[in-house]
Amino acid sequence: MKRLAALLFGLALVLPSVALAQEGEEEDKGAFISEEWELHEWIPIHLGPIDMSINKAVAYLLLGALCSCLIGIVLMRVKVGRGPTRRQALGETIYEVAQVQVAEQGLPTHAIGRWFPYVASLMVFIWTVNMLGFIPLPLSDEKVTIVGVELPTLAIFAATSTLSVTLALALMTFVFTHVEGIRANGSWNYFKSWIPEVPKVMYPLIIPLEILGQFMRLISLSVRLYANMLAGHMLILTFVGLIIVLENVFLAIVAVPAAAIFYLFEVVIVVSIQAYIFAALSAIYIGSAIEPEH
Amino acid sequence: MLSSLFFLAAAEDGADAGKAIALALGIGLGALGAGVGIGNIFGSMIQAVARQPELRGELQGIQWLGFALTEAVVFYGLIGGLLAYVLV
Repeated sequence: MKRLAALLFGLALVLPSVALAQEGEEEDKGAFISEEWELHEWIPIHLGPIDMSINKAVAYLLLGALCSCLIGIVLMRVKVGRGPTRRQALGETIYEVAQVQVAEQGLPTHAIGRWFPYVASLMVFIWTVNMLGFIPLPLSDEKVTIVGVELPTLAIFAATSTLSVTLALALMTFVFTHVEGIRANGSWNYFKSWIPEVPKVMYPLIIPLEILGQFMRLISLSVRLYANMLAGHMLILTFVGLIIVLENVFLAIVAVPAAAIFYLFEVVIVVSIQAYIFAALSAIYIGSAIEPEH
Repeated sequence: MLSSLFFLAAAEDGADAGKAIALALGIGLGALGAGVGIGNIFGSMIQAVARQPELRGELQGIQWLGFALTEAVVFYGLIGGLLAYVLV
Protein backbone atom coordinates (compact mmCIF):
# COMPACT_ATOMS: atom_id res chain seq x y z
CA MET A 1 0.00 0.00 0.00
CA LYS A 2 2.79 2.36 0.98
CA ARG A 3 4.72 1.51 -2.17
CA LEU A 4 1.70 2.13 -4.33
CA ALA A 5 1.19 5.50 -2.70
CA ALA A 6 4.86 6.37 -3.26
CA LEU A 7 4.59 5.33 -6.92
CA LEU A 8 1.45 7.40 -7.44
CA PHE A 9 3.08 10.35 -5.70
CA GLY A 10 6.09 10.03 -7.99
CA LEU A 11 3.90 9.86 -11.07
CA ALA A 12 1.91 12.88 -9.94
CA LEU A 13 5.18 14.78 -9.67
CA VAL A 14 6.40 13.68 -13.07
CA LEU A 15 3.35 13.66 -15.32
CA PRO A 16 2.77 17.42 -15.52
CA SER A 17 6.42 17.91 -16.40
CA VAL A 18 6.19 15.47 -19.32
CA ALA A 19 3.17 17.33 -20.63
CA LEU A 20 5.00 20.62 -20.25
CA ALA A 21 8.08 19.27 -21.95
CA GLN A 22 6.08 18.20 -24.97
CA GLU A 23 4.33 21.49 -25.53
CA GLY A 24 7.26 23.69 -24.58
CA GLU A 25 9.68 25.03 -27.17
CA GLU A 26 12.93 23.21 -27.85
CA GLU A 27 15.41 24.97 -25.58
CA ASP A 28 17.98 23.64 -23.18
CA LYS A 29 16.44 24.34 -19.81
CA GLY A 30 19.39 22.98 -17.86
CA ALA A 31 21.80 25.43 -19.50
CA PHE A 32 21.77 27.78 -16.51
CA ILE A 33 23.80 25.22 -14.55
CA SER A 34 26.77 25.28 -16.91
CA GLU A 35 26.44 29.05 -17.32
CA GLU A 36 27.52 29.26 -13.69
CA TRP A 37 31.06 28.39 -14.84
CA GLU A 38 31.24 30.94 -17.64
CA LEU A 39 33.66 33.63 -16.57
CA HIS A 40 32.83 37.14 -17.76
CA GLU A 41 35.43 39.88 -17.65
CA TRP A 42 34.76 42.44 -14.96
CA ILE A 43 37.89 44.55 -15.37
CA PRO A 44 39.59 43.74 -18.69
CA ILE A 45 43.39 43.71 -18.51
CA HIS A 46 45.13 42.48 -21.65
CA LEU A 47 48.93 42.35 -21.68
CA GLY A 48 49.62 41.53 -25.32
CA PRO A 49 48.40 37.98 -25.85
CA ILE A 50 48.05 37.34 -22.11
CA ASP A 51 44.59 37.78 -20.67
CA MET A 52 44.89 39.01 -17.09
CA SER A 53 41.31 40.22 -16.73
CA ILE A 54 39.65 40.22 -13.35
CA ASN A 55 36.69 37.86 -13.41
CA LYS A 56 34.64 35.94 -10.88
CA ALA A 57 37.29 33.29 -10.22
CA VAL A 58 40.04 35.91 -9.81
CA ALA A 59 37.88 37.86 -7.36
CA TYR A 60 37.33 34.70 -5.33
CA LEU A 61 41.06 33.96 -5.40
CA LEU A 62 41.96 37.45 -4.20
CA LEU A 63 39.39 37.16 -1.42
CA GLY A 64 40.77 33.73 -0.55
CA ALA A 65 44.33 35.06 -0.37
CA LEU A 66 43.18 37.89 1.89
CA CYS A 67 41.27 35.53 4.16
CA SER A 68 44.12 33.04 4.46
CA CYS A 69 46.50 35.89 5.37
CA LEU A 70 43.98 36.97 8.01
CA ILE A 71 43.71 33.40 9.35
CA GLY A 72 47.47 33.31 9.69
CA ILE A 73 47.74 36.69 11.38
CA VAL A 74 44.76 36.31 13.71
CA LEU A 75 45.38 32.73 14.80
CA MET A 76 49.18 32.55 14.86
CA ARG A 77 50.18 35.97 16.19
CA VAL A 78 48.93 35.28 19.68
CA LYS A 79 50.61 36.39 22.85
CA VAL A 80 51.37 33.03 24.45
CA GLY A 81 50.08 33.16 28.01
CA ARG A 82 49.83 30.68 30.83
CA GLY A 83 46.24 29.64 30.11
CA PRO A 84 45.88 29.12 26.35
CA THR A 85 42.96 31.02 24.87
CA ARG A 86 40.62 29.46 22.34
CA ARG A 87 42.35 31.40 19.56
CA GLN A 88 45.73 30.00 20.50
CA ALA A 89 44.33 26.47 20.74
CA LEU A 90 42.79 26.71 17.26
CA GLY A 91 46.00 28.09 15.80
CA GLU A 92 48.02 25.31 17.40
CA THR A 93 45.62 22.69 16.05
CA ILE A 94 46.05 23.98 12.50
CA TYR A 95 49.82 24.13 12.95
CA GLU A 96 49.91 20.60 14.33
CA VAL A 97 47.92 19.18 11.43
CA ALA A 98 50.27 20.91 8.98
CA GLN A 99 53.36 19.78 10.87
CA VAL A 100 52.53 16.21 11.91
CA GLN A 101 50.03 15.05 9.30
CA VAL A 102 51.34 16.84 6.22
CA ALA A 103 54.99 17.84 6.48
CA GLU A 104 56.43 15.03 8.58
CA GLN A 105 54.64 12.38 6.56
CA GLY A 106 56.17 13.37 3.25
CA LEU A 107 59.26 15.47 3.74
CA PRO A 108 62.62 14.19 5.02
CA THR A 109 63.61 15.79 8.35
CA HIS A 110 66.29 18.10 7.00
CA ALA A 111 63.95 19.53 4.34
CA ILE A 112 61.06 20.37 6.66
CA GLY A 113 62.53 23.76 7.54
CA ARG A 114 62.54 24.85 3.90
CA TRP A 115 59.33 23.28 2.62
CA PHE A 116 57.03 23.42 5.63
CA PRO A 117 55.94 27.01 4.84
CA TYR A 118 55.00 26.00 1.30
CA VAL A 119 52.90 22.96 2.17
CA ALA A 120 51.29 24.65 5.18
CA SER A 121 50.28 27.70 3.18
CA LEU A 122 49.01 25.44 0.38
CA MET A 123 46.79 23.69 2.91
CA VAL A 124 45.44 26.89 4.48
CA PHE A 125 44.94 28.61 1.13
CA ILE A 126 43.13 25.73 -0.56
CA TRP A 127 40.96 25.20 2.51
CA THR A 128 40.02 28.88 2.55
CA VAL A 129 39.22 29.05 -1.16
CA ASN A 130 37.19 25.82 -0.96
CA MET A 131 35.32 27.07 2.07
CA LEU A 132 34.58 30.45 0.47
CA GLY A 133 33.01 28.44 -2.34
CA PHE A 134 30.25 27.25 -0.03
CA ILE A 135 29.39 30.60 1.53
CA PRO A 136 26.82 32.55 -0.50
CA LEU A 137 28.59 35.76 -1.50
CA PRO A 138 27.39 38.67 -3.64
CA LEU A 139 29.96 37.91 -6.36
CA SER A 140 28.04 36.68 -9.38
CA ASP A 141 27.43 37.77 -12.94
CA GLU A 142 23.69 38.08 -12.51
CA LYS A 143 22.23 41.30 -11.18
CA VAL A 144 19.20 41.96 -9.02
CA THR A 145 17.71 45.37 -8.33
CA ILE A 146 16.97 46.14 -4.69
CA VAL A 147 15.57 49.60 -3.87
CA GLY A 148 16.85 51.04 -7.13
CA VAL A 149 20.41 49.78 -6.60
CA GLU A 150 21.71 47.07 -8.91
CA LEU A 151 23.49 44.43 -6.86
CA PRO A 152 24.99 41.07 -7.80
CA THR A 153 22.92 38.11 -6.64
CA LEU A 154 24.14 35.82 -3.89
CA ALA A 155 25.79 32.77 -5.38
CA ILE A 156 28.09 29.91 -4.45
CA PHE A 157 31.15 29.45 -6.62
CA ALA A 158 34.58 28.07 -5.78
CA ALA A 159 37.65 29.35 -7.57
CA THR A 160 39.05 25.81 -7.26
CA SER A 161 36.23 24.51 -9.46
CA THR A 162 37.97 26.04 -12.48
CA LEU A 163 40.77 23.97 -13.97
CA SER A 164 43.17 26.89 -14.48
CA VAL A 165 43.43 27.57 -10.74
CA THR A 166 44.14 24.00 -9.71
CA LEU A 167 46.48 23.49 -12.65
CA ALA A 168 48.50 26.56 -11.58
CA LEU A 169 48.76 25.20 -8.04
CA ALA A 170 49.78 21.76 -9.32
CA LEU A 171 52.34 23.33 -11.69
CA MET A 172 53.99 25.04 -8.71
CA THR A 173 54.39 21.69 -6.96
CA PHE A 174 55.59 20.09 -10.22
CA VAL A 175 58.29 22.73 -10.78
CA PHE A 176 59.40 22.75 -7.13
CA THR A 177 59.63 18.95 -7.12
CA HIS A 178 62.05 18.79 -10.04
CA VAL A 179 64.08 21.86 -9.07
CA GLU A 180 64.52 20.50 -5.56
CA GLY A 181 65.29 17.01 -6.85
CA ILE A 182 68.02 18.29 -9.16
CA ARG A 183 69.42 20.57 -6.45
CA ALA A 184 69.63 17.78 -3.90
CA ASN A 185 70.89 14.94 -6.09
CA GLY A 186 72.43 16.50 -9.20
CA SER A 187 70.56 16.20 -12.47
CA TRP A 188 72.04 12.88 -13.68
CA ASN A 189 71.43 11.07 -10.39
CA TYR A 190 67.97 12.57 -10.08
CA PHE A 191 66.74 11.53 -13.50
CA LYS A 192 68.35 8.13 -13.03
CA SER A 193 66.38 7.67 -9.81
CA TRP A 194 63.13 7.77 -11.79
CA ILE A 195 63.96 4.45 -13.39
CA PRO A 196 63.37 1.40 -11.22
CA GLU A 197 65.81 -1.50 -11.15
CA VAL A 198 64.71 -3.77 -13.98
CA PRO A 199 66.54 -5.87 -16.57
CA LYS A 200 68.02 -3.66 -19.31
CA VAL A 201 65.75 -5.27 -21.91
CA MET A 202 62.75 -3.61 -20.27
CA TYR A 203 64.18 -0.08 -20.51
CA PRO A 204 62.46 0.97 -23.78
CA LEU A 205 59.15 0.05 -22.17
CA ILE A 206 59.78 1.42 -18.68
CA ILE A 207 61.45 4.77 -19.42
CA PRO A 208 58.57 6.32 -21.42
CA LEU A 209 56.11 5.04 -18.83
CA GLU A 210 58.05 6.61 -15.96
CA ILE A 211 58.36 9.95 -17.76
CA LEU A 212 54.65 9.82 -18.55
CA GLY A 213 54.00 9.01 -14.90
CA GLN A 214 55.67 12.25 -13.80
CA PHE A 215 53.26 14.22 -15.97
CA MET A 216 50.30 12.12 -14.86
CA ARG A 217 51.01 13.34 -11.33
CA LEU A 218 50.42 16.87 -12.57
CA ILE A 219 47.11 15.89 -14.11
CA SER A 220 45.90 13.79 -11.20
CA LEU A 221 46.84 16.46 -8.64
CA SER A 222 44.98 19.21 -10.47
CA VAL A 223 41.99 17.22 -11.72
CA ARG A 224 41.33 15.68 -8.31
CA LEU A 225 40.75 19.04 -6.62
CA TYR A 226 39.02 20.56 -9.65
CA ALA A 227 36.59 17.70 -10.19
CA ASN A 228 35.76 17.35 -6.51
CA MET A 229 34.74 20.98 -6.18
CA LEU A 230 33.01 21.02 -9.58
CA ALA A 231 31.00 17.90 -8.78
CA GLY A 232 30.00 19.23 -5.39
CA HIS A 233 28.69 22.50 -6.77
CA MET A 234 27.09 20.81 -9.74
CA LEU A 235 25.19 18.33 -7.55
CA ILE A 236 23.83 21.08 -5.34
CA LEU A 237 22.88 23.23 -8.33
CA THR A 238 21.32 20.30 -10.17
CA PHE A 239 19.14 19.28 -7.25
CA VAL A 240 17.91 22.81 -6.70
CA GLY A 241 17.67 23.33 -10.46
CA LEU A 242 15.43 20.28 -10.91
CA ILE A 243 12.57 22.42 -9.59
CA ILE A 244 13.10 24.84 -12.47
CA VAL A 245 13.99 22.27 -15.15
CA LEU A 246 10.92 20.13 -14.49
CA GLU A 247 8.79 23.20 -13.69
CA ASN A 248 7.29 21.63 -10.61
CA VAL A 249 7.28 23.37 -7.23
CA PHE A 250 6.43 20.22 -5.27
CA LEU A 251 9.79 18.70 -6.23
CA ALA A 252 11.24 21.04 -3.62
CA ILE A 253 10.10 18.55 -0.97
CA VAL A 254 12.68 16.07 -2.29
CA ALA A 255 15.22 18.31 -3.98
CA VAL A 256 15.97 20.85 -1.26
CA PRO A 257 16.80 18.32 1.50
CA ALA A 258 18.93 16.36 -0.98
CA ALA A 259 20.81 19.54 -1.91
CA ALA A 260 21.21 20.38 1.78
CA ILE A 261 22.67 16.92 2.50
CA PHE A 262 25.21 17.30 -0.30
CA TYR A 263 26.03 20.80 0.92
CA LEU A 264 26.75 19.53 4.43
CA PHE A 265 28.78 16.58 3.11
CA GLU A 266 30.91 18.93 1.02
CA VAL A 267 31.42 21.49 3.78
CA VAL A 268 32.16 19.02 6.56
CA ILE A 269 34.26 16.42 4.75
CA VAL A 270 35.30 17.22 1.19
CA VAL A 271 36.60 20.76 1.70
CA SER A 272 39.06 19.79 4.44
CA ILE A 273 40.06 16.46 2.91
CA GLN A 274 40.90 17.97 -0.46
CA ALA A 275 43.01 20.71 1.12
CA TYR A 276 44.81 18.10 3.24
CA ILE A 277 45.32 15.74 0.29
CA PHE A 278 46.73 18.42 -1.98
CA ALA A 279 49.21 19.58 0.67
CA ALA A 280 50.13 16.03 1.72
CA LEU A 281 50.72 14.84 -1.85
CA SER A 282 52.81 17.95 -2.58
CA ALA A 283 54.91 17.14 0.47
CA ILE A 284 55.25 13.50 -0.58
CA TYR A 285 56.26 14.40 -4.14
CA ILE A 286 58.83 16.96 -3.01
CA GLY A 287 60.12 14.62 -0.32
CA SER A 288 60.51 11.71 -2.70
CA ALA A 289 62.41 13.93 -5.13
CA ILE A 290 64.83 15.08 -2.42
CA GLU A 291 65.45 11.55 -1.14
CA PRO A 292 64.82 8.99 -3.87
CA GLU A 293 64.35 5.49 -2.53
CA HIS A 294 67.48 4.07 -4.12
CA MET B 1 12.03 6.85 -9.52
CA LEU B 2 13.17 4.72 -12.47
CA SER B 3 9.76 4.81 -14.10
CA SER B 4 9.79 8.61 -14.00
CA LEU B 5 13.17 8.61 -15.73
CA PHE B 6 11.83 6.40 -18.50
CA PHE B 7 8.89 8.75 -18.97
CA LEU B 8 11.28 11.67 -19.36
CA ALA B 9 13.53 9.77 -21.74
CA ALA B 10 10.59 8.71 -23.91
CA ALA B 11 9.44 12.28 -24.26
CA GLU B 12 12.77 13.36 -25.73
CA ASP B 13 14.46 12.44 -28.94
CA GLY B 14 15.73 8.85 -29.15
CA ALA B 15 19.36 9.83 -29.71
CA ASP B 16 19.31 12.18 -26.74
CA ALA B 17 17.90 9.43 -24.57
CA GLY B 18 20.65 7.06 -25.71
CA LYS B 19 23.27 9.68 -24.92
CA ALA B 20 21.82 10.27 -21.48
CA ILE B 21 21.75 6.55 -20.71
CA ALA B 22 25.34 6.10 -21.92
CA LEU B 23 26.66 9.01 -19.85
CA ALA B 24 24.77 7.88 -16.75
CA LEU B 25 26.00 4.30 -17.18
CA GLY B 26 29.58 5.55 -17.54
CA ILE B 27 29.56 7.55 -14.33
CA GLY B 28 27.65 4.76 -12.60
CA LEU B 29 30.31 2.19 -13.46
CA GLY B 30 33.00 4.60 -12.27
CA ALA B 31 31.17 5.00 -8.99
CA LEU B 32 30.88 1.22 -8.69
CA GLY B 33 34.65 0.76 -8.69
CA ALA B 34 35.26 3.59 -6.27
CA GLY B 35 32.50 2.30 -4.00
CA VAL B 36 34.20 -1.09 -3.71
CA GLY B 37 37.54 0.61 -3.05
CA ILE B 38 36.24 2.98 -0.39
CA GLY B 39 34.39 0.14 1.32
CA ASN B 40 37.65 -1.81 1.41
CA ILE B 41 39.56 1.09 2.93
CA PHE B 42 37.10 1.74 5.73
CA GLY B 43 36.62 -1.98 6.38
CA SER B 44 40.36 -2.47 6.76
CA MET B 45 40.57 0.62 8.95
CA ILE B 46 37.88 -0.75 11.30
CA GLN B 47 39.69 -4.08 11.51
CA ALA B 48 43.03 -2.42 12.14
CA VAL B 49 41.65 -0.18 14.90
CA ALA B 50 39.79 -3.11 16.45
CA ARG B 51 43.03 -5.05 16.67
CA GLN B 52 45.29 -2.22 17.77
CA PRO B 53 43.29 0.75 19.05
CA GLU B 54 46.44 2.68 20.03
CA LEU B 55 47.42 3.08 16.36
CA ARG B 56 44.25 4.99 15.46
CA GLY B 57 45.91 8.41 15.19
CA GLU B 58 48.66 7.21 12.88
CA LEU B 59 46.28 5.21 10.72
CA GLN B 60 43.80 8.03 10.27
CA GLY B 61 46.10 10.09 8.05
CA ILE B 62 46.77 7.14 5.76
CA GLN B 63 43.06 6.30 5.72
CA TRP B 64 42.02 9.73 4.48
CA LEU B 65 44.83 9.75 1.92
CA GLY B 66 43.60 6.43 0.55
CA PHE B 67 40.00 7.61 0.66
CA ALA B 68 40.71 10.72 -1.40
CA LEU B 69 42.90 8.88 -3.89
CA THR B 70 40.18 6.28 -4.44
CA GLU B 71 37.33 8.76 -4.49
CA ALA B 72 39.07 10.76 -7.20
CA VAL B 73 38.47 7.88 -9.61
CA VAL B 74 34.77 8.76 -9.76
CA PHE B 75 35.64 12.29 -10.67
CA TYR B 76 37.93 11.22 -13.50
CA GLY B 77 34.85 9.40 -14.78
CA LEU B 78 32.78 12.53 -14.29
CA ILE B 79 35.27 14.66 -16.23
CA GLY B 80 35.28 12.05 -18.98
CA GLY B 81 31.50 12.18 -19.06
CA LEU B 82 31.49 15.97 -19.22
CA LEU B 83 34.02 15.90 -22.06
CA ALA B 84 31.87 13.39 -23.94
CA TYR B 85 28.79 15.53 -23.32
CA VAL B 86 30.49 18.66 -24.63
CA LEU B 87 32.29 17.08 -27.58
CA VAL B 88 29.62 14.72 -28.97
